[in-house]
Amino acid sequence: MHDKTISIESRDISKKFGNTRLFSNVNFLLNKGDSFFITGPNGSGKSTLMQILAGIQKSSSGNIIYTSGGTVIDSSLYKEIYGFTGPQVNSYDMLTASENLKFTVSQKVDEKKINEYLEKFGLYRHRTKPVKYYSSGMKQRLRLIHALINDRKILMLDEPCTNLDSKGRDILYETINEIKNNKIIIIATNESDDIKLCARGINLEQHS
Amino acid sequence: MNNILKNLRKDFLIEFRNRSALNISFAFAGITTLSVSLAAGGIPFSPLVQAIIFWIILFFSAMSGLAHIFIREEEEQNALFLSLYYSPEEIYISKLIFNMVLFLCIATLITPLYLFFLQILPVYKILFLLTVISGSIAIASVTTILGAMVSKTGSGSSLFTVISFPVLLPVLWTAISLTTISIEGGGVPEYKNILFLLAFSGVIVSASYLSFKFIWTEI
Repeated sequence: MHDKTISIESRDISKKFGNTRLFSNVNFLLNKGDSFFITGPNGSGKSTLMQILAGIQKSSSGNIIYTSGGTVIDSSLYKEIYGFTGPQVNSYDMLTASENLKFTVSQKVDEKKINEYLEKFGLYRHRTKPVKYYSSGMKQRLRLIHALINDRKILMLDEPCTNLDSKGRDILYETINEIKNNKIIIIATNESDDIKLCARGINLEQHS
Repeated sequence: MNNILKNLRKDFLIEFRNRSALNISFAFAGITTLSVSLAAGGIPFSPLVQAIIFWIILFFSAMSGLAHIFIREEEEQNALFLSLYYSPEEIYISKLIFNMVLFLCIATLITPLYLFFLQILPVYKILFLLTVISGSIAIASVTTILGAMVSKTGSGSSLFTVISFPVLLPVLWTAISLTTISIEGGGVPEYKNILFLLAFSGVIVSASYLSFKFIWTEI
């Protein structure tokens, strides 16, 4: 699976909460090298759609299909294919950044790589500090490391620049530009700079 | 297996730094044991009353500590983070082991305290010990899955106690009966009832393992 080309397809995805329709008929197909944005006003369902794509939430109708070399992948294996982060993804406050990362990294990732990422995102000197003492910007940097460090084939970032300062944004954009040719990147955002990173995308306002 | 150990290690690390579940349970157990012995004022209770009080203390110690492991994930908004990296089965098994170890620690502290303050010396010591161990395992098995359900409702520990009691009634009933026999002696020690407690745990764990995915995730 790891050597084959991954694709992700959204087929007629709709989501309703009770009688309220959030979005409907969302269709797209993404292959390796594609970078895709999801935008729309507050409450339009960007985060919900991201979670549906990640298999964390159920859609009201339609299907999400992951394929590897043309073979459909079982949903229980999605977690091994994507790196995901968003405002609702909170690491453990009582653990340090290093401990949180050791808790989530795959067996391929060693301590050296963890330290490299902490250094890259400016958290190395704070690595032994419990996360509860981090600022919101530092927590966001840690979220991004969690999504990136396992080097998954799909990267899903929900509001990746929330609370980031300009240096943090530069690090993120530089990292995405380095890896985007080898991955599928999906970003849910309303930031124009984030949208510019992507080749195409959808506005959920047009699907409401 | 590696993921179960990693999650277990994380839970113990957080508990060691936080110590809320342990402290609450130990404080409750210590205070109630002392209160009961002071209230008795040196007058010995009958073995049945001693057994009932002992299991009531264990039951409420479990209520104050064991739901915490799941409720904390929801309250501190770590549930999604955990779900992104661990399968429901890995989460369930690690939380079950954590609760069993935690409750056996609590029982290990409460039991000698209770025996000392109420001046009890069980006649069938092995039966008494096996009852405490198998009863504790049964309580931990039930409270783990109920803790997961309660954590998703957002109602906290009050609902947990209310729904735990009827489910744990067969366990408490059997454990009280076995403890009474082990304290007063006489007749034949009924080891087969230990098997009931272990079988009860087995059934609850199997059913919980199969249903946990539907409790924990929205899929």
